[in-house]
Amino acid sequence: MSDTAMLGAAHLCLQRQGRVLLDDVSLDLPQRGAVALVGPNGAGKSTLMQVLAGQLAPDSGAVTLQGQPLHDLNVRARAQRIGYMPQRFEPHWDVTLLDLVQMRVTDPAQAAQVLALASLQALAQRRWSTLSGGERARGMLAAVLATDPPVLLADEPGAALDVQHRLALVQALARRGRERLVVVVMHDLDLAFECFDRVVVLHAGRVAMDGAPTDLLHAAQLDEVFGVRFERIAVAPHTLLRARSLSQEPTT
Amino acid sequence: MNPSRTMWCWAFAALALAVALGICAGHQWAAPAEIWQAITERDTLRGRLLWEWRMPRVLAAACVGALLGLSGAVFQGVFRNPLAEPYLLGASGGAALGATIALLVPLGLPQSWLLPVLAFAGAWGSTILVLGVARVAGALDASGMLLAGVAMAAMLGAIRSFLMLALSDETVSLQVVMSWVLGGIQTPTWSGLGWLALITLACLLGTQTLARGLDLLGLGDATAQSFGLDVARFVPRAVLLGSLVVAAAVAYGGLVAFVGLAAPHIARWWVGPRHRWVLPASALAGAVVVTVADAIARSVLPPAEVPLGLITAVAGGPFFIVLLARRLRAYGGRA
Repeated sequence: MSDTAMLGAAHLCLQRQGRVLLDDVSLDLPQRGAVALVGPNGAGKSTLMQVLAGQLAPDSGAVTLQGQPLHDLNVRARAQRIGYMPQRFEPHWDVTLLDLVQMRVTDPAQAAQVLALASLQALAQRRWSTLSGGERARGMLAAVLATDPPVLLADEPGAALDVQHRLALVQALARRGRERLVVVVMHDLDLAFECFDRVVVLHAGRVAMDGAPTDLLHAAQLDEVFGVRFERIAVAPHTLLRARSLSQEPTT
Repeated sequence: MNPSRTMWCWAFAALALAVALGICAGHQWAAPAEIWQAITERDTLRGRLLWEWRMPRVLAAACVGALLGLSGAVFQGVFRNPLAEPYLLGASGGAALGATIALLVPLGLPQSWLLPVLAFAGAWGSTILVLGVARVAGALDASGMLLAGVAMAAMLGAIRSFLMLALSDETVSLQVVMSWVLGGIQTPTWSGLGWLALITLACLLGTQTLARGLDLLGLGDATAQSFGLDVARFVPRAVLLGSLVVAAAVAYGGLVAFVGLAAPHIARWWVGPRHRWVLPASALAGAVVVTVADAIARSVLPPAEVPLGLITAVAGGPFFIVLLARRLRAYGGRA
């Protein structure tokens, strides 16, 4: 594990009900950078995010934050340093956006400032049930980032958004990666390869590939991991992936 | 949303009105002039009755209502379910069992303090048991504890019924136990009322320490944890504090159903979902509801007194059904 890693995972293993969710996962994540975590369904992406966030304890292996074991930090100290956007978020009570931010930063003036910085002040008094999907995602991101944590872990934050809002959200996360560490679970491979500095591919609970998007994009292993054949379509300056089912392969 | 000062003024005015109505209402209606005379002079039998019996009784009803409302807000916040009743955790079943033992088993100690002490012990003990069962079963989440509470309440209810059948005889009136189990405010002395008021105030202040945690819990376990709440520690602590509040309410008012369910709803409608405000607002709403219900209980069938629990159950049952129907419609069949 590198000494300069902001967040490190060493030999993480986790099983639930006899099923291997994480199998010897090791990762070094730097002080800053935008990292996309991709993989097919059931690869262990959300589980790994929960373990990195300290929400789940691994059966073996360890997570370190700035060289310190994560389990040595209490929940509050962890929350100050790691911002975590879970896959699903639906509050049980119909809180306003300002309420939500105030649950992260108790000072009302600071909460108002957070919403102003995210250009959400007009929505401050709106109840959660009245917000659109895009507004909810922006609001949740503003609340999570209100304490300016050095690490942001986001689990499929754009999954329920339309293309415009998903693009805006992913770009905002990638921009944050210039100054802080951002790790995002992505299902949209094109956005992952286009917007992020580094892509980690998980498969069956293991790290199958890890590197710069340009290095991974053309690797045949990517097709194997996802169980499809990718057509690489050059649309300068990027390369787009179009998936073809293996059953659609021409027979010879 | 922070409730305005005007809203609080209206709420306290409603409570003052309910208390005034409660003091006037009873076996014989008392005019405001009579009440004033009772407060200032107390030289007639009626004046003394109003001063020593009706006024402390009405104020005790307000305190018990506040405790019920407060416990309801805590339990609904912990279970994140607006249908959660404090009694579902088995606290009331334990309190009722403790009180039944105090009333039926000749332990040779004064019943005036044995009843509240055993009711406290029963509520506290049953909640500990529920937490223990949920912990052993590995189900320390809200639904796991709720199910453990339902099972515990059923068992404690059966034990209580057995004791009532086995121990009541011509020397111990079954009616005394039944009237307590059906709910009814114990009329305290003024010094006893002082203690009850102190307990209510302590519960109000104590539950305020849960306000931020309950807010965070409402965001879901994952988000609450990521916002800095140690969910695994907070939930049992909140349940125990909530049970203490329930035990205080049960010790002074017997089993009064549905107030703990309705008061938090009234509070959230009034002040929004933040528990910093929901907790005191729910206490106020509970105080108003129980004070009015107690006034009805004392005056609807004179000279008899209808058990308070019957009044709140008759009014609260339909409220629960409406809430359940709305929730089932909203969540496609899941409560």
